[in-house]
Amino acid sequence: MNNNSNNDDFLLIKKAQNGHEGAFNFLMTKYYPRVYASLYSYTKSREDSEDLTQQTFVKVWQQIKTFRGDSAFFTWVYRIAINLAKNHFASSSSKKDKLNISSSDIDIEFKTFANPESDLMHDQSLKKIRAFIDKLPESLKTAFTLRESDGKSYEEIALITDTPIGTVRSRIFRARENILNFISEELDDES
Amino acid sequence: MNHNLEEKLSALFDGELDTNEVDEILDALEKDASLQKKLSQYALVSSSINNSNNIQSINSKKKSTSYGFWFSNAITAAATVLITFVAINQFEFSRMGEDISAKNKLNIAMSSKEAKDIVSKVEENLVDHVMHVINNPDLDNSTPYDVDLRNVGYNRLSSDGRKFNKGEKNFILRIEKKNLGINKVRYWRHGDKIIHVVPLADGRVVTIYGNIDAQSAINVANSISK
Repeated sequence: MNNNSNNDDFLLIKKAQNGHEGAFNFLMTKYYPRVYASLYSYTKSREDSEDLTQQTFVKVWQQIKTFRGDSAFFTWVYRIAINLAKNHFASSSSKKDKLNISSSDIDIEFKTFANPESDLMHDQSLKKIRAFIDKLPESLKTAFTLRESDGKSYEEIALITDTPIGTVRSRIFRARENILNFISEELDDES
Repeated sequence: MNHNLEEKLSALFDGELDTNEVDEILDALEKDASLQKKLSQYALVSSSINNSNNIQSINSKKKSTSYGFWFSNAITAAATVLITFVAINQFEFSRMGEDISAKNKLNIAMSSKEAKDIVSKVEENLVDHVMHVINNPDLDNSTPYDVDLRNVGYNRLSSDGRKFNKGEKNFILRIEKKNLGINKVRYWRHGDKIIHVVPLADGRVVTIYGNIDAQSAINVANSISK
């Protein structure tokens, strides 16, 4: 696999290709929400998106040795996801099986279905979080935004902000912690 | 929780951890559920910030048991509720065409207290109904009925006409005149069973509790509605 700039996950991918389940778990956890979001924008169905996301990662695990690093890992995963979605809709029998996944470890799962009212509230939550990020100390906000929104490497951020890489790493971590704390407090308030 | 480990986790999430430290984090993740949760939260926040028009994880509690993944355990219900940064209303509006004025009006209407109360009441009634079915599967206050489901392959198992089976598939049936405020099929999982709630056009609600899939449940409901 090429160790090119497209692959922040080079080490994890390499390990996963060698059968390291922990490395694969990491990658799956990292990309699950993005794959799910992409599939949702394609299917407009939460249920289909959940099933297809799971199928995507099963397929990723089965095929990860074939990933050569020519593209970003997510791009490769995304292609698998979209192909599965296309096949899902092309197959007349696909819908028959979509509820067959068991969840033996769950006593009860209350499915949340689309309803515009609650969705609007969630959208408002996102706005609140963005507003919170805007209010972060400038040094944290800059490092976090350059990483998350602009995809800059720590080295690039260090150059831009004229700070050591270790400081960049620490600032991004602290920004994340602040955001998660804010989310946790918001949840307590809203529940 | 160890902040040093968490900071390394954050760095690994960004692909910026030194090679010789990666195994330390992967090993810690295997054993530490709170670290797993933290990783999931980083992913959800990252995805949400970068995909504001997309729905994020909803009840992602399914487990990919074939590989023993710990992913599903990592997302708490609380986190998924808040980090469901959904903008379905935006999808719907964009599909209808960009009518900003209509969109604003609808947004105001949907966020009104009255609208929230209605939605909340519907969900409350549904949850009560489903919990009643789970807790009292054999009790039924609804009017006795005599349903023949042989045309869809199900035989009656009990004299009260509420239990049916086809091979290994079996379910308890309830038919009630009840306004649950729904106009489409809803379902819930309970262990290895699923509760399907199907509203009929004549105002009755069919509840099917058993190990049958959605299509079979709909076939049963269609048979009853005829």
